[in-house]
Formats: sequence, C-alpha cells, structure tokens
Amino acid sequence: MKALIQRMRAGLWALCAFLLWGALAPAGATSPDEALEALLAEARARMPEACANPAGDKLMEILCNGQMRVGVRGNYPLFASRTGDGSDREGYDTDVARAIATRLGVTPEWVVVRAATRISALAEDSADLVVATMGHNTRRDTQATFIRPHYYSSETIVVGPRTQAIADWPDVVGRRVCTTIGNYANSHLVTQGVRLMLFEDGGRLPKALDEQVCTIVAHDDSFLASYLAVPEFGARFERKFGFDQVPWGMAVAQTGTESFARALQLISQIMHRDGQFLAIAQKNGVFTSFLEAQNRLWQTPSCASIAALEDPACVLPALDATPTPTQFADEINAMLAWSKANLGFAPDLPMLTSVSAFELFKSGIVNSLILVFGALMATLIFALTIGFLAVLPFWPVRLVTWAVTAVIQSTPVILILVVAAVVATAIFTYSPAVALGSAIVALGMMNGANAGQAIGEAAGSLRREGAYGRGFSLPLLRAAVGRSRAQLLSFLVNAAKGTPIASFTGAPELLSALTDITSFAAGQVTTYSVVLIFYIAVVYVVVWGCERARRALETRETVQ
Amino acid sequence: MTFLLDLLSSSYPRDLMEGMVVNFNIAAIALVLGMVLGAPLIFLQLLGRRWHGGSAALIGLMRAAPTFVVMFFLLNIIPKEFEFLGMKLSLSGGLIVALSLVPYAASYIADNGRAALEGLRSGSRAEALLLLPSLVRAYVVLVMSSSAGVAIGVNEGVAVVLRKADSFSTTSEQLLVFAVGVFAFGAVFQLGFALVRLMVHLLSDRRSGTAKA
Repeated sequence: MKALIQRMRAGLWALCAFLLWGALAPAGATSPDEALEALLAEARARMPEACANPAGDKLMEILCNGQMRVGVRGNYPLFASRTGDGSDREGYDTDVARAIATRLGVTPEWVVVRAATRISALAEDSADLVVATMGHNTRRDTQATFIRPHYYSSETIVVGPRTQAIADWPDVVGRRVCTTIGNYANSHLVTQGVRLMLFEDGGRLPKALDEQVCTIVAHDDSFLASYLAVPEFGARFERKFGFDQVPWGMAVAQTGTESFARALQLISQIMHRDGQFLAIAQKNGVFTSFLEAQNRLWQTPSCASIAALEDPACVLPALDATPTPTQFADEINAMLAWSKANLGFAPDLPMLTSVSAFELFKSGIVNSLILVFGALMATLIFALTIGFLAVLPFWPVRLVTWAVTAVIQSTPVILILVVAAVVATAIFTYSPAVALGSAIVALGMMNGANAGQAIGEAAGSLRREGAYGRGFSLPLLRAAVGRSRAQLLSFLVNAAKGTPIASFTGAPELLSALTDITSFAAGQVTTYSVVLIFYIAVVYVVVWGCERARRALETRETVQ
Repeated sequence: MTFLLDLLSSSYPRDLMEGMVVNFNIAAIALVLGMVLGAPLIFLQLLGRRWHGGSAALIGLMRAAPTFVVMFFLLNIIPKEFEFLGMKLSLSGGLIVALSLVPYAASYIADNGRAALEGLRSGSRAEALLLLPSLVRAYVVLVMSSSAGVAIGVNEGVAVVLRKADSFSTTSEQLLVFAVGVFAFGAVFQLGFALVRLMVHLLSDRRSGTAKA
C-alpha cells in the first residue's frame, strides 16, 4: 500500500513537471538556445511594467535589477576565493556564475556563504542563486531546487606519496587512511577494510601528509586539488584513485523561481554542450574528467534537444544519501522523540537507526567479546608457558626466558601490537580476523610475560624456603602459580583493559566499529559514551570473575 | 648490518629522541594532574567509612577505565577550543593523551599515597618515603602508555618508529626499525626501574637502620 502511494505520488510529480514544462517551454522551441532566447525575450517583453511588481518571479526581479546575487564560498581555493589584490573573486564557481550572469545580461553580486548557510541563504532570500561547491543529494532536494544538468562533480580521492604504488582498494586494505569526520564517503571507506584516522577539519589533512602523521589521506578532490596544484606538494604526493562521485548543483529557492530555474537549466545544457564549463574548469586548474564526459554527452543527438533535460539518460540523479533504516528505527526515533519532549534531551543513536551502522555495532560487540576472551586465554597460556620455563633448573633456558620477558616488558604495548600485526601479515593475507588474532597473541604475550615472570619469582622464593628442592617438579610449579595468583589475576584484568588498543592495528572490535560509525553519522558523544561504558563494564566483569577465582583457589588451599 | 648502520646514521635516532621527549612531557603532565586529583582521594580514604566507600568506588572506576577508550572519549567529547576564566584555550593531541592517563595516575597515586600516609601514621618515615620510587615507577609506566597518542596523530616516539617503518617495504627492514624503537623505549624502562630498585634498596637500608637503632 505504501509502495503504491509512493508510486502514485511519483507519477503525480512527473505529471506536474510535464505540465509545467509545457507551460514554460515556448511553442516550437526544441534547441536549448532557442528555448532560452524565447524565455528571456518573453520576460523582457513584460519589462518595465512587470518590474513594478516582480514578486513571485525571480527571473523578472533579476532582469529588472540588472543584478544577480550569487552565494559563493568565502575561501575555497580554485573554486571561490579573493583575487591576490582582494578586489574581486576568482575560481571555478565564481567564473561559472559570471558566465551565467553574462548570458542573462546582468552583473553578479557576491554573497559569501558557508557550508551551513548555503541553503538557508536561498530560503531567507539573501541570495538568488547559490553556486557554492554544493553536492546534490536527495536530502537537500527537499530544501532547495537544484539545477540539472549538474555544473560539476566531485569525488573522494585517495592521495598518497608518489613513491608508493597505490592503484586501487586492495593496496589500501588494512592500512591507515586519514579523513574527516562526517564525510559521506567514509561509509564506503570502512566497508573496504581500511583503518580510519579521523580529523575534524579537512585543512589538517595536507599538513598531516606533509608532516608524515598520515601516509594516505582521503578527501574531496575539489578540496585537495588546490594542494596538489602547489608544485612542492604535487611533487611529493599524487591522486591515487577516486570513488563516490557526487554531482554538484547550483541551487535556487523552492518557490517563485520556476522561470529562473528553467533559464539556468537551459544555460547549463548549453554550457556543457559548448564546452564552456570545461573551459572554465581548465582555466582554474580543477579536475575536468566529469566535465569532459558531460561535454561529449550533451553533444550527442539524443541529448541535444530540450527534452533531454527530463531524460535520465542525459541528466544525472541526485545522490541518494539516505541510509537504509533498521527494522526498529521507527521505534527508536519515537523513543528519542519522547525523551526529547519529556526529559529535554535525546541522544543520537546512529548505531540503532541505520542498517549499516547497526551491522558494524553488532559485529563490534561480538568481536570485542572474542578479543577479551582470547586475550584472557592467551595471557593464561603465555603466563603458564613462561612460568614453566622460568621454573626449569637449566640456567640457559631461564636466561633466554628472562631476556625475552625483559624485552616484552620494556616495549610499549602499541608497538608490540604493531610488530605482531606485521609478522602476522607477513605470514597470512591481511584480514580483520588476522588483525584480531595477532592482537590476541600480542596482548597475551605482553601480560603473560609479566605474570610468567611472577610465577618464576614465586618458584625462586619457594626454593629458597627449601620445601621443593633445587630441581623441577609439578608440585613446585603448582605452588608457584598459587603463590603468584594475585599478579596472575591482575595481569588478566590488565589484558581485558588493554583490548581496545587492538583497534589500532585494525582489529574490528567495538571502539573500531563505533569510530567507523561516527565517521559518517552523527552522535559522537553517545557513541563514545557507549564504548566507554561497555569497556568499563567488561573490565568490571573480568575483575569480578578474577575475584571469584581467587576466593575459590584460597578456599581450596584452606581445605587442603 | 649495512642497513642498520644506515638507519642509525640517518635522522631516525634524532627524530626518535625528539618523539620520546613528547612521551616524557605527556607523562609528566599526566603525573602532575594525577597527583592533583589523587591527593584529595588519599585524604577521603582516610576520613572514615562513609567517605572511604565513595572514594574507593571512584578509584575503582578510574582503575577500570581503559586509557585508550578514555583518550578517544575525550578527543570526541571535549571541544577543541573552549573558554576558561575568560581565556580561549585549545587542547592539543598531546594534552588529550595526558588527560586520558589521569584516571590511571590518580588511582595509582591514591593507592600508594594512602599506603605512604598510613606508614607515616605508624611512625615509619622510611615507609612513607617509598612513595618516591612509586612515583618514578608510575612515571615510567605513563611514558610507555603515552605511546597510545600515535592513534590520534600525536607525533611521539612510537609514531616516529611507525612512520620510519612505513617507509620500508620488506618485513625484515621494518622489524629492524622496530627493534631500534624497542631498544630506545627499553632503555628508558630499564633505567627507570633500575632507579626504582636503587631507591627501594636505599630506603630499605634506611628502614632496617632505623629499626636497629
């Protein structure tokens, strides 16, 4: 039923668009040039009388004023920035706006907009048109009228040192990629098995590359293009590959702009066909692959007429940025709405409202529990093995055991994890399971070495007391384990506490999963609170379990 | 062998030392802040059962909080710039790492500080002085733990090691780079603990001397 209503609604929209098209398209005009000329002639014919009351007709208002207020970014190198002397603006977006103004016979007036004010500037009528590096997605479609064909398209690009051979996804799997929080493309990155290091501001990424804090970064090509254009930077780093193309749209307000939007559509079609967009892009040094393809497309006979503006084979759709909701998303949203209304606050719970985030969340919890259990078992195994070797009466064995333990003890845990991961990936092909396994071994080795040393020291003290002689015996080992149980249990707790560090080497545990979720969804505060509470709870459970084990051992000893 | 000599004659050892200075700074800040937070907890524990219960629960919570998760929590919760007493302050990555180590440092200080005060109460000054080697031990542990900062882009010692290792393609070369890093951190660790042992030894001698007198 819902689908039927949606289809009927879509059909109604199509009918409206067709009727509007019929009303606005001058009779007999089939080429965009003729249609634009006719549209402007018709508007100009109503001047100057209509100028007295241009309300409701943006095109008429612009033509009457002789000015078009264009919302552009304040400082977005290569797209919209001030000229060297500060007297004017330059860049692809501003040049596009100038070209449009010229075709309309008006002059552009610049209105600086930010990412957050691009759409509100139209709604508040502080700009007639926005040409401001704005991606066209289905969510924004409900807030402004986007002009199609799109005037540009950006993609997320992976940039790295020229010395490294990176051609596609397999070359970055398991590697750390720096990107910004909230980037739509991050949801794609996390599914490819890369590890993210998140930055708040894109401006830090080139610096991080330069300072070698990051080896690989992923960000919008329109942003990184200006840095790659700098000779010193471009000599060291290059675009490796791109993904997730997002069409950019000029936008106008949703009401009173029918004729204006129509004129802009026709102008865009002409500018693509004649290669004017392409020429402006080449002049400003921005990436041109999309514009080259559009130039070829709009020159084909099937996209030559004005009918092509409604043809899906010629115009691109908006990017569908709406995540698939979970089956229980409505209930969660209703609960959050209730919380907001009654308690005054509602946390963001992206991990429960979208399918992709929920899947990451679920697997993160499962993997964390596997990691904790594995780390506890590995700690126990390493402790008993190293303890056994330390108890043996052969000094060369004890010396080697001591040396290995000393090295492990004096190495930062994160370095041990990395070394274990490097060795594991040299033996096996990298995968999240390998990362998980190597982390379990590293955590077990680190904590087990310390606990094993405690067993060895306990055996030494038992020998000095003279109860077990100088040689090795199982009762001695058992007594040594019993005597060092406090240290053994404390290193088990330490192992559980250390498990989140495994996210650094790509183990897909909860911290890693939730970091991935926050990279493309809102709700950082809730997300990191959840992960903190989860791990504290896990540590408390392990402490409780160890305490019970200690009491059970003590009771057994008392009975014996 | 040639590779190792090349490695040691490159800028790597100097970069590593510079990175480790960041670790030392982070650990020092964490220890000072841990003392500021831990000191009141010592007194709360000694005040009586009611206060003791509350402070013990808080210390338990701080002990259980995984540093790495606390670091990410702070990184994403605390605004990058904020106003404090009319001053505009911004938090660097290093300071966030230091703050994430504060729960551990404070709980450690609270535990060891209480033992020292109890020793002082029972008339053993030497036992109270054992707090000093405990502080050195805590500092060494904090230096090692501060390497977690590499995960949020802090340019500390382990970050230098990983960056250098990343510039080599073979596992053997990378392992040699790691070995130099392990040696550098190991030297700090072993020196630190040798100092702890020496201090404990001196204080034990003093304690037994006091007992004999």
